[in-house]
Formats: sequence, C-alpha cells, structure tokens
Amino acid sequence: MSKPKFSPRRFVVHLVLATFTGLTLLPVLLVLRKALTPGQEFELTLNPIPSAITLEHFANVIGRTGTGGVWLFGRQLLNSVIVSAGTTVVGVFLACTAAYALSRFRFPGRRTGLMSFLVVQMFPATLLMIPMYVLLGSLGLLNSMAGLVLVYSTTAIPFCVFMLKGYFDTIPRELEEAALIDGASRIKIFYAIILPLARPAIAVTALFSFMTAWNEYILAATFLNKETAYTLPVLLKAYVGEHGSTEWGSFAAGAILVSIPVVALFYALQRNLVAGLTAGGVKG
Amino acid sequence: MKQRARDILGAGSGALLAAGLITVAAASIYLRTHNQGQKAMVQAPPVAYARALAQKAAATMDAPAALQAYVKRLSSNGQPVVLAAVIVDRDHPRFRFMRQRTYVAHSDPSREGQRLSPDSDGDKELYDLCSRVRLKGGRMDLFSPQGGPFSVRAAEPVMVDGKRLATAVVITEPRALQAPVPAWPLALGLLTCVAIGLAAGVARPRPRYAVIMVATLAYGWMAHGLIGDLASRYSEDLEAVGVHLADGLGQAEVPRAADALLAGIILEQPATWVVVAATLAGLALGLLGLLGIGRRMVTGLHTHRFAYAYITPAASGMLLLVFVPFAYGVLLGFFNHSHGTYTFVGLDNFIEILSGGDRPLSHPLNFYFTLGVTILWTASNIILHVSIGLALALLLKDPLLRFKGVYRVLLILPWAVPNYITALIWKGMFHQQYGAVNHLLSLIGIENISWFSSFSTAFIANLTTNVWLGFPFMMVVSLGALQSIPDDVYEAAAVDGASRWQSFVNITLPLLKPALFPAVILGTIWTFNQFNIIYLVSAGAPAGSTDILITEAYRWAFERADRYGLAAAYALIIFFILLVYTLVTNRLTRASEDSA
Repeated sequence: MSKPKFSPRRFVVHLVLATFTGLTLLPVLLVLRKALTPGQEFELTLNPIPSAITLEHFANVIGRTGTGGVWLFGRQLLNSVIVSAGTTVVGVFLACTAAYALSRFRFPGRRTGLMSFLVVQMFPATLLMIPMYVLLGSLGLLNSMAGLVLVYSTTAIPFCVFMLKGYFDTIPRELEEAALIDGASRIKIFYAIILPLARPAIAVTALFSFMTAWNEYILAATFLNKETAYTLPVLLKAYVGEHGSTEWGSFAAGAILVSIPVVALFYALQRNLVAGLTAGGVKG
Repeated sequence: MKQRARDILGAGSGALLAAGLITVAAASIYLRTHNQGQKAMVQAPPVAYARALAQKAAATMDAPAALQAYVKRLSSNGQPVVLAAVIVDRDHPRFRFMRQRTYVAHSDPSREGQRLSPDSDGDKELYDLCSRVRLKGGRMDLFSPQGGPFSVRAAEPVMVDGKRLATAVVITEPRALQAPVPAWPLALGLLTCVAIGLAAGVARPRPRYAVIMVATLAYGWMAHGLIGDLASRYSEDLEAVGVHLADGLGQAEVPRAADALLAGIILEQPATWVVVAATLAGLALGLLGLLGIGRRMVTGLHTHRFAYAYITPAASGMLLLVFVPFAYGVLLGFFNHSHGTYTFVGLDNFIEILSGGDRPLSHPLNFYFTLGVTILWTASNIILHVSIGLALALLLKDPLLRFKGVYRVLLILPWAVPNYITALIWKGMFHQQYGAVNHLLSLIGIENISWFSSFSTAFIANLTTNVWLGFPFMMVVSLGALQSIPDDVYEAAAVDGASRWQSFVNITLPLLKPALFPAVILGTIWTFNQFNIIYLVSAGAPAGSTDILITEAYRWAFERADRYGLAAAYALIIFFILLVYTLVTNRLTRASEDSA
C-alpha cells in the first residue's frame, strides 16, 4: 500500500480520532498514575504523569497475606484462573452443542428454546441472586469453585448461544450432507467440520465466558465468604471502604492487576471479535 | 392423515391440560376472594388475644394453676394458636418473694416460673417491654424489628384494683388453627393420580409409559400440595374470623369470646364443596391432557433424539440455575416477607408498585418516576452508544487511514475493563474536590461542580460512565457490518452522482439496519438492567432520584426492611417491560423487512 498523501480531511479525521482516543484513555492513565504514585490518598487529578514512581502498591497487593500466613493474592489468583478456565470450558461446550442443535435441527420446542435464550437475559440477574443462593446452598456449592463455574457458565450461555447459532447458520449445510453421505457420524461432523469452521465465533464465545467469570463481582462476593475462596475481584473489595476510607493506591494497583489478563486476551482475540460478532450474534 | 390425527390429539391434550390447570387455579382464587372480605374486617388480632389474656389473668391471678391452664389452652388447644405468657411485675406486694420478673404462665410449660434475664437476647426485649407498659391505658401494639428468637406482638397490663400486677404478652403472631378441613378430597385426588399412573404402567409395560407414570405422579403430588395449601388458607381465615368475633364483642366479653373460639365455634364454612368439586374436575381434565401430551412427547423425543441430545446439557443447566430461580422469583412476587416469614398477599405487591405507593409523582420512590428515569437513562445511553460507535466506525473504515489498528485497539479498551472497576474509577473522577472531571472543567472556567447533589449532574455522571463503557461494543458491531457492505455499491452511487450524505442515508444506514437492530435490542436490555454503574457511581444520589428500576428493586430487597416480595414484583415488572419491548421491536423490524 502506498503511503497516502496528506489531506486536510484526513488530518481532521486524525484529530477527531486522537482526541477521542485521548479521552477514552484518560481514566486508564489516571489509574495507572495512581498505582505508581506513593500514598493512598484520593487524588485523581488531571495530570497523568506521576510525581514520584513507586511499586509499593503493587508489592502490597501481590504480597498480601491472610490469617496463618496464607499468601492471599496467589490463592485468589489461582481461584480466579480455575473458575474462569472452568467457566470457559463448560460455557463453550454447552453453548456449542446447544447452538448446533438450534441451527441444524428442526424439532418441537426449537422456537421456544431460541426465544427463551433471548428472554432469559431480560430477567434482572441481581434478583436471581436470592434464589440462586438458596439453591447453591442446598446443593452444598456455596464457597466452592464448582458452584461459581455453574452459575457463571449459565449466565454466559444465552448470549454465546445466540452468537454461535448465527455463525453456524452461515456455514453451508452441503458440507455436512456430503460428509453424511460419506458415512461420517453426526458427532464426527460436529467436531471435525463445524467446530473448526466456526473458530472465530468460538474464540469470541470463549472470550465472553472468560470475561464473565473473571470480571464478575457481586455474585462472587455473595456466594463466597472465606478469604481463601475469593476470586480476584472480591480482593479489590478490601481496598474500597464504605465512606472515604478507600486505599486508592492499592485499589488502582489491584484494578490494573485484575484487568491486565482480560485486556491482553481481548487484544489477542480482537480480530475474531469483529468477524464473530457480525456473522453471529448480531444477525439474531 | 395420521399426522393430522396426531396434531389434533396433541392440541386436544394441550387444551385439556390447560383447562385442568385453570380450573384448579380458579378454585384457589375463588376460595381466596371469598374469604378476603371477612379478613378485611379483622383488626390487630394479637391485641385481642393480649386483651383477653390480661382480663383472664386479672380474674385468676390468685389461682395461678387456673391461669396456667388457660394459657396452655390458649396456646395449645390441640394445635398451637398463639404463644402467650403472663409476666408478673417485680416487687409487686403480692409476689414479694419474686425478686425478678417471672413467667407465671407461659405457653411453653418448661418456661413457667422461669426468670427473665435482661442479659439474654430474647428475654431482654420482654423485660424492657414489661417496664414500658404503663399503668394507665397500657395497651401496646408491638413489633420486633430485629425478630429475635420470637416476636412480641402485643402487650396488655393486668390490672387488679386499679393497679398493675403483671403484663400479658402475645409473643408470636397467632398461628393457623387447624380447622376441620375435609381430608378426603386430598386423599382421593392423590389416589386417583396414583391409580391412573400405575394403570398406565401396568397395562402397557413399555418404557415410554413409565414417563407418563412419573409425570402423572408428579402432577398428583403438585395437586396434593395445592389442595393442602387451600386447606391451610381456609383454616387461617377461620381463625381470623374468630378473633374478629372476639374483638367485636367488646372488652368485657372478650375472655368468653376467646374461650368460645378456643372451644371451636362452628363458623359457617365457605362453599368448600364447590371448590373441592372444581378442583377434582380440574385434576381429572388435567390428567387426561397429560396422558395425551406425554404420549406425544415420547414419540417426539424419539424422532428428534439427536437434537435433544445436543441441547439437553445447556438446557438442563439453564433450567436449574436460571429458570428455577426465575420461577422462585415469580412466586416471591406474590408474597410479603417480614422477619423471616412469608405471607401470600396476591397482587398486593404489584398494586403497591403500580399505584405509585401513595407517593406523589415527583417522589423518587414513585414507580413512574423511576420508570421515567430508567427510560431516559436507557434512551440517552443507546442514542449516544450508537451514534458515537457508528461515527467512529465510519472514521475507521477508511482503508488508507494510518494507525487505524492502533486507534481501534485503544478504543476497545473500555470494553475490556471490568465494569465495576470502571464505575469506581469514574466515581473517583467525579469527586468534587479531587476529581479529574472538575479539574478538567476548571481549565475552561467552570468551577467546582458538586456532581452528586443534583439530579441532572448525577445523571450526567452516570451517563458519562456508561457511555465510556458501552460505545466500543457498538463500534465493533458497526465496523463488522460496514465491512460487509461491498465497495462497488458506493462506487455505483458515486457514478450516479450521489453525495456522501446521500449514500450514507440511502446505502449505509439501510444496509446496517439488520446488524444494528439486534445489537440495539441487546444493548437496550443490558442498559435497562445496568446495575453496577448506577449503584456504584451515583448510588441513587441525590435522595434516590437517579436510581433506575433494577437498583430500586435491589434496595427494596437488601437495604429497606428485606422486602423480597416487593423486589421480586419489581423484577417481574422489569421483565415484562423488556419482553413487550422486544416483541414490539421484533415485529417492527420484521414488518419493515417485509415491506422493504
């Protein structure tokens, strides 16, 4: 591609985009500055350059230990990783199979099923909390990672099913018919033909499931009541006091630590994001 | 032909099942409304009990055995009616030997003669209460906000010769009197179900009939619960009527009236026979329908076994963790929760919400005020999300633009940051003294806005946060959709002399519509229920005016007196609003696609 010539129109475009990007990044930069500046006090003023640089907040957050010298950060990081990975695996598996059935088979209850996956998102999740709490309690799954994985994957499924179903719809049926004639089984067709072709959409599904689990705070804070069972977002709760007692330095450092993996993953998969989203979910 | 017969059979059995269920429901409603009128007349039953008890105590104070017998009868006439106690005053001349407040009578025999200790949790409440009941006119309607081991509902001084001798207290709400509810319809209904289920299993010993059998038994069990519920409600009403009777006879007559009640006044029964007959008819209809449906389901399951095998894992997960809690939530909407007990209140919660709860329209707790704020919130968010997202996507579409990838990567960032972190950061940014926003505004001469002390600024703070959070999604969706529009369409338009604006309006927008509509619907649903931002940024300030429906519901459940029922009713209303919205927009888009 040849280097485009300078044009006033393009300059304006750059100006607009740069300003907007700047505004978008500002809060992030301010948090970064707070995380690097000594002191816990509240000061999110405009200048993004730290007056003095320190890593004490990061050291504080990472080095946090609980009663009995348990390395809390390590423990909670491990919890978060396990819960998020579990949610991703379970969520993607369930969403793929369900979306495949909805996309390829015509069976009684299909329309109802499709509708209910959409409708489910309308029931305010915050208020499913009480019944969910009772339910998990009676299943003995409170304070356990399995319970969280179950809850998170079911919250992630509806959107994922929608997206995947849309994507599966774009894969031509002829491929499967040919394979069927060649004697391939339904299951083989599913994992040898459909899944590889749907890779972008599956990547997006995985990303969403992962994000749901990694970023979720309220349910985790409700269902877990042991420090050693907490996931990382709950760790951040420790730094945000009720009235003004917030340790902003540690909060900022914690926020950055929690956000980094998901942001990294987001960027690794962002090409798929455009393809997966438009071919899939958004077509309904 | 066979297919047609099967369809008719299916539709018929569905209708039968529906008819059955409706009949049972109607029977239940009939029973409720029939007794509602009587219930409304009853006022403060615990007070009546306490008054009756105080009178009895005044008369029998010299004969503790008689009083104890009375309390026992009051509380355990076969079944517990009320937990009551008479507590003698400390230092009263007649009971000088008692140095502490002591139960002279208690419905729990093991507590008789026991001392109240101001140090123990449950007793302290009673202890204080007895001190508070005044000599003159000391009737008190009571309450136990924290709901200790028991709740004091009413207290009356026991007066002898114008002096207070003791205090009569009613400790918990009078419980249901087990009225003579006919047990046979229950048993008969259950037996019929079992018989039909077994017959189906035995007559056709094939696996598919096992399904019918199980379904039938399940239905029978449900019906059993339903009838049982009717029965217990009936008895509650019976009891309430009795207390009303006691209350209405005037103070002097109370003990006798209460005695009469306890002896088992025969009240005229509501038309139970009608209800029982209707219920049975409903059950029979339902069973017939269920048999047909079960049969159809079994064949359906077999033909579509692959499809069901694929969808079952996800469906069962959703069933367990979404639909069951959902159903629980729906049920909860018809109950009132207070101190750990739930009472069925029918549509009261919904009426309270939809009537605005006696608050003026400008009151932040009025449903319509909150609804207005929610709609404003959702609409302004979606408009800003779509216009900013689309504008950025259009700018980024230019294939020759440099640093396109960089811009795109940086602009997606807000989407990737966990949204509760976003919310907390922005709350900090809007801080009056130290916040970056006020700092930025001071550069252009606007000084020191206190963001969370007026509705408009608090709303703007919430809106800014959520716009920051939400535009990347719309941008990515628009980018993808724009990429799918082939360039030659634009070229053709340019050849025909269309301006940029014309081709945007006539080509880009119509072609974007199919991709943007679902995204807008989803976005609307998410924004309507955007809990984290409202709750964490403005927290409803000032005075709850920026709360939207979902945070309002949350506050009723967890911040204002544990009104789970009201919160669930709110949730249901939110659900219905969104459902109607989706159906209407879906129809509109379908209509516009058809006409196009």
